[in-house]
Amino acid sequence: MGNKKCTKTGNKAKLLILLLLMPLIAGCWDRSELDERALVLGISIDKADPETEKEEPDVSHLPGQEPLPAKDMIRLTAQLAVPGRIPLGPGGQGGGASPGGSQTIWPLSVVGHSMSDAIANLQQQISSPLFLGHLRTIVVSEEIARKELKDINDYFRRNPEVRRTTWMMVSSGKAEPLMRSAPEIERVPTLYLMMTLEQAVKLGKFPQDFIGVFWSRSVKKGQEGFLPYVEVQKKDNILIQGMAYFKGTKMVGKPSPLEIAAYMGIKGESPGGYQLVKIPGTKSQAVFAATQRKSKIDFKIVHGRPDFSVKVWIEGNINEINADAHLNDDNIKDIERAEAKRVQKIYGDLVSNTQKDGSDIFGFGEYVRAKAPKYWNREIRTVEQWQNMYKDVSVHIQTMVRVRRVGMTTS
Amino acid sequence: MDNTRKITVIQATAVLISTIIGVGILALPRFAVQTAETGAPLVTLLGILVASAGLWLITVLGVRFPSKTIVQYSEEIIGKWLARFGSLLIIGFFAILTSLAAREFGEVVVTTVLRNTPLEVTVIVMLLLAAVSSRHGLETFVYIHYFYLPLILAPALMIVVLSLKNAELLNLLPVMGNEHKELLGGVLTIAALFQGSFIISIVIPHMRRPGQAYKASFMGMSVAGVLYFLIVVATVAVFGPEEIKRLLWPTLELAKTTSLPANILERLDAAFLAVWVTAVFTTLYSSYFLTIHCMSKLFRLRDHKLFSFFVMPFVFFYCDGAAKHSGTLPNHSDCRTDRSDCDHWLSVSAVGGFHHTKKKGYT
Repeated sequence: MGNKKCTKTGNKAKLLILLLLMPLIAGCWDRSELDERALVLGISIDKADPETEKEEPDVSHLPGQEPLPAKDMIRLTAQLAVPGRIPLGPGGQGGGASPGGSQTIWPLSVVGHSMSDAIANLQQQISSPLFLGHLRTIVVSEEIARKELKDINDYFRRNPEVRRTTWMMVSSGKAEPLMRSAPEIERVPTLYLMMTLEQAVKLGKFPQDFIGVFWSRSVKKGQEGFLPYVEVQKKDNILIQGMAYFKGTKMVGKPSPLEIAAYMGIKGESPGGYQLVKIPGTKSQAVFAATQRKSKIDFKIVHGRPDFSVKVWIEGNINEINADAHLNDDNIKDIERAEAKRVQKIYGDLVSNTQKDGSDIFGFGEYVRAKAPKYWNREIRTVEQWQNMYKDVSVHIQTMVRVRRVGMTTS
Repeated sequence: MDNTRKITVIQATAVLISTIIGVGILALPRFAVQTAETGAPLVTLLGILVASAGLWLITVLGVRFPSKTIVQYSEEIIGKWLARFGSLLIIGFFAILTSLAAREFGEVVVTTVLRNTPLEVTVIVMLLLAAVSSRHGLETFVYIHYFYLPLILAPALMIVVLSLKNAELLNLLPVMGNEHKELLGGVLTIAALFQGSFIISIVIPHMRRPGQAYKASFMGMSVAGVLYFLIVVATVAVFGPEEIKRLLWPTLELAKTTSLPANILERLDAAFLAVWVTAVFTTLYSSYFLTIHCMSKLFRLRDHKLFSFFVMPFVFFYCDGAAKHSGTLPNHSDCRTDRSDCDHWLSVSAVGGFHHTKKKGYT
């Protein structure tokens, strides 16, 4: 008996030892240390100059041997994070990095015939494996965007590391300067770029439009995508200049910043921005800030074509009046009317601009597809059909403005 | 008191839910969208109905023969040899199902998370786990399912709820969808994702009160069905049907787009995959268990342990070969032809069962 008991406890002890050893022998096939990865934070894509072909290392092919793609070459600039230099936490003690990002990142530039070719060329030049899981911003130059974005979209869509919440943007002029810019305020330049856009969404300067949203919109049958259109300013800050709107995978037009507000108004997105309105009957102006916007998009089929009516309700405050006008109930009503009229014109202009380019960024077509499926299936069905039809549908815009608050006075 | 009858209704429900929720969850929205675009939720609903009908049949039969599994009672219903042939079909079917599920699991892991780990390694580890666990009896089997259930359900629901932030209502309209492609095929594919519910046939003989199996079936199907339905709705609402057609595993992309509030986690795909591995395990475990359990019953063995490792190489080599000669990703829809065979046989046996038991009741 005793003997048996002894072996039993012996077995248990053995089992325990085995169990304790288990965590030690477990391993990870895909182990990769944080500091052995090249973290790519931002990527910019430009069209390469014709003579850069000489610059290309013979990584993926030998010169003059393979039939090369007939497309233009691209210049890809990547912003790599320098491990250890990016301070952790707010103290800034972590790596002794100075603001301006001169040391936290390492911009590298390569050329290639396609996205993966360029990435392969880049990989050849650096020691650690590239990791795109922290890619936050992709900047494409206008030249590339106007030509074709299909291959670039395809590369990022298929790479499982890339987040769908990455921001993609179009730069006026070359895209590379955005990767080399070093804004004073943020330690990591790309993060500044990303913050610019994320804050813009919060402040109502730009609608939510990360890359996943852009992809979804551009493949929809009755809608086109758009991307933020940015420009580097003198002090390396970034100006959101408007929306670069697309037709399929090609950029077709760029509105002004004011028209972002028009887009957001038509879609009923809040909050809004500031607008200068002339106070009717006087020479002075008031600054109107929209706080709430609502919209309702409806349509009827008239003579075999959809006829849209957009109703936009805008609520806001009067933040400032210059000169010596005094606000009273009457001229507030006047301001409301004047503002409504002005807004209506801006909205109408944006719609007719996009119609000229056949790029339905508002997704009017989606309304038809969703709410009149029979008509859609009979008359439209495809993306191309809708792009054609959008050019001459009529859109009626009606705006209503209400001033909620004018501030308090002491007299 | 019979010692082997220990499983309660809730436990049986848990087995059903965690068996049903498995590999298919990742591709489910794509199957639904390919059939009917924005009509995807509707197709899913139809698929759930079809699957429910199948489950109902199995439950009815199980309750009529409360102490026998399908292998045993089918012999009574349609005769010995036909039934044995049918049982062989079931065994083969679930063995193949196990290997396809393992294959798809490996495929997802290799392309998204562990890119340097050979496919075979992830698959073998998963199958080994299933094989080792299946050496235990049915009770342990049930406990394992019961234990993992909350871990599977809670995060999946959380992702659905959080992702609705990016949802657009227009993506779900028209409810019927604009264009349809072989509607029946799509519905069957979705229904095929629920075929794990067959497991109830071996659970019933061990239930404390087999009569309550209806309740378990109903609840199990409802919970799993509602979850699948919600996932389709959320995915379609967030991406729109056109984008989903371009995504291999839309549910995973949904998790990638969804973030926990207040920047706690900026993407949920890692968390989701961890959960999903558990879900795949419970599903594999069930189909593997079902295979060897049916085998032992077919060969009149008292114990099924004998087969738990014996079957593994077959399952593994099938799964390894599955993609080698086709070069494409195997998925559950490949199983459809197998399934229809199986279904034919099932309905025959079911109809036979009704006649048989009715006759018995009257005479």
